[in-house]
Amino acid sequence: MDNLRRWWKPTALLILLAYPWIFRAPYYHVLGFNVMLFATMATSWNIMGGYTGYKSLGHSAFYGLGAYFVAIAANQLGWNPLVSAPFLALIVALVAVILGWIMLRTSGSAFVISTIAMLLIFRLTALNLREITKGAPGLSQPLPPWTPEFSRMPFYYYMVVWLIIALFVSWYIRRSRFGLGLVAIRDDEGKAEMVGVNTTLYKILAFGVSAYFVALCGGVWSYFTSHISPVFAFDIIVGVDMILMTMLGGLGTLWGPVLGAFILIPTSDLILFTFGSSTIYLAIIGVLMMVVIIFLPKGILPTIQQWIQDRRAPRAAHQGALSMAEMHGLTDDSPSVEEEIRHD
Amino acid sequence: MHLPSWNVLIQVAVIGILTGGVYALMATGLTLIFGVMRVINIAHGAFLILSAYISYWMFTAYGLDPFLSVIVSVPLLFVIGLIFQRYVLSRVQGDPGLGVLLTFAMALTLEGLMGSLWESTGRSVRTAYTSNVFVIELSDITLRLPWVRVGGLVAAVIALLSIFLILSRTNLGRAIRATIQNRSAAQLMGVNVERVQAMTFGISLGTVAAGGAMFSLIWTFNSGSHEEWISKMLSIIVLGGMGSLPGAFLAAIIMGLAESVAAVVMSSYLSPIVFYLILFITLIFRPQGLLGVKVREE
Repeated sequence: MDNLRRWWKPTALLILLAYPWIFRAPYYHVLGFNVMLFATMATSWNIMGGYTGYKSLGHSAFYGLGAYFVAIAANQLGWNPLVSAPFLALIVALVAVILGWIMLRTSGSAFVISTIAMLLIFRLTALNLREITKGAPGLSQPLPPWTPEFSRMPFYYYMVVWLIIALFVSWYIRRSRFGLGLVAIRDDEGKAEMVGVNTTLYKILAFGVSAYFVALCGGVWSYFTSHISPVFAFDIIVGVDMILMTMLGGLGTLWGPVLGAFILIPTSDLILFTFGSSTIYLAIIGVLMMVVIIFLPKGILPTIQQWIQDRRAPRAAHQGALSMAEMHGLTDDSPSVEEEIRHD
Repeated sequence: MHLPSWNVLIQVAVIGILTGGVYALMATGLTLIFGVMRVINIAHGAFLILSAYISYWMFTAYGLDPFLSVIVSVPLLFVIGLIFQRYVLSRVQGDPGLGVLLTFAMALTLEGLMGSLWESTGRSVRTAYTSNVFVIELSDITLRLPWVRVGGLVAAVIALLSIFLILSRTNLGRAIRATIQNRSAAQLMGVNVERVQAMTFGISLGTVAAGGAMFSLIWTFNSGSHEEWISKMLSIIVLGGMGSLPGAFLAAIIMGLAESVAAVVMSSYLSPIVFYLILFITLIFRPQGLLGVKVREE
C-alpha cells in the first residue's frame, strides 16, 4: 500500500507523457486531448460544486466566453491562442466574479436556475452580436502552424500541463484556510458565517477560480476545432459533462473529477461509435446520470474508500483512526469540518 | 428599436395576453410541484414537448384533433408523473440540489428518446382551421385573433379552473395545500405525504399534457426545444413566486405580453432575452417573486 502511494503519481505521469507515442493514430490524440480537457474542467467545476456545494448548471457559459475571446483575439489581433488563452481566461474569471457577486445572493435551486439563465443570456447575445461573433454560422480561426503529422499532439501536452496546474490549485485550495471555509459553507452556511468565515467573499472567489480553468479550456478548444458557433460553444451539455464526471468520480474529492473524465470520455466515444447518433447518446447520458445520482450519490472514490475502511475496521480500532485516514491518501476525500478540526 | 402604431401595438398586446393564457397552463404544474416538493422539475419542458409530440403523432396517424387527443395524453402523462415521482424522484428526497440534477437528467433522457423517435425536423400540427382568424372591429381598430390562440386560452381557462376546483373542493386538494404550507404538520395530521406528492406530480404532468396539445397547434418544435421552453416556464414561476398558483397565472400573462411587445419593439430574435433578464432580475432582487412568500429550503 505504501509503495502504491509513493509510486502511482510518477507512474501515471509517465504513462500520460508516453501515451501519444504509443498510440500514434490521430484518433487517440483527439481522445487523449478530450480526456485532459474535461478532466481539467471537471476539476475546476468541483471547486465550486464539490467543495462549496453550489452546483452550477451553466458553467459552459465560461467555456463559450473563453472560446469566443480567444478566437476573436486570434482573428483581429493575431494573438496565438495557446499563449493568449491563460490571460484571456483571467478576464472571463473577472466576469464570473462580477456575475457571482450578483448570482450568489441566491442559493439552492434558485442558484441553479440563475446559472442556466446566465448561460442562455450569453448564448442569445453571441447569436445576436453579429458584428463581433458572426452570429449563428460562427467564427473560424487560423489553423495551427505545425505540420499535420504532429496533428493533435501539442494540444494534448498543453492540456496535460494545465490539468496538473488545475489539480495543484484544487489540492492547494482544499488544504488551505480558504478551502476549509468553502467546505464549511457547504456543510452549513449559517454556522460558517457565525464562526467568522466571510462567506460572500469566499463563494465569489471560488466561483471565479472555477470559471478560470473552464474558460481556458474553452479557449484551447476553440483553437483545436478551429471553428466555433454559439450553439456548440454555449452548449449546456458541456456543463452537464463536468457535473456527471465529478459526481461519478467523487464529489468534493481531489481525484474524483479526473477519474470521472477518464471513465466518461472513452465511454461516450464508444456509445457514439456503437449507435452512431447523438440523440441516443443524450438518452444514455441522461439515464447514466440518473443511475449515478440515485445509486452512487457519493461517487466511486468515496464509495471504495468506505468499503476498504469497513473491511479493515477491526484492525483500524487498534491503530487509531488517524493512521487509517492517512493510509488511504489515494482518495483525498474531503472530511467534514468537524473531522478536520479534530485532525488539527 | 422603433415604436409601431397604436393599432399594431394593441393587436400585439391582445395576442400577447392570449399567449399568456397558454403559458399559464404550461407553467402551472411546475409551480405546483415546487410548492409541494420543493424541487424544480427541469424535465417539465421535456414533458411539454413529449405531449406535443403525442398530439402531433395522433394527428398525423389518426387525424385526431389536438383538442380531442388530450383525452389520451392527459391520463398517460398523469401515470408517467405518478411513476416518476414514486420510484425515481422520491429516492433523493431531502436534497433539492440532487432533485434538480435528477429532473435535468430526465430531461436529457427524454430529449434523446424523442430525437431518435421523431428526428430533429421541426414539427407542428396544421389543421384545417390553423390559419383562420376572428376579425373584431372596434371603431377604428381592427383586431385579428387566430382561432388556435383563442382556443388555447379557452382550454387553458377550463384546465386551470378544474385544477382550482380540485385544490379547493376535494380532500386531495386540501391535502396538497396543507403539504405546501407545512409538510411535517400535514404529516402529523394524517396526510399521506408520499401519496400527495405522487398525485401532485401526476396532476402537474396532466396539465402540461393539456398545455402540450395547445402548444403543438401554435408553435413549431423539435426534441431540443425543451431547453428554451423550460427557461420560459421557469422565469414565469420565478416571477410569480415559486409555489404560488395565482402568481404563476399573473406572471404568465405579464410575460406573454412583454414578449409579444418586445418582439415588435426590438426584434423577434432578441425577444426571448426578455424572459431571461426578468428571471435573473427577479431571482436577485425579489427572490420571492410577485405573489410568493419567502420559502426556506430545508
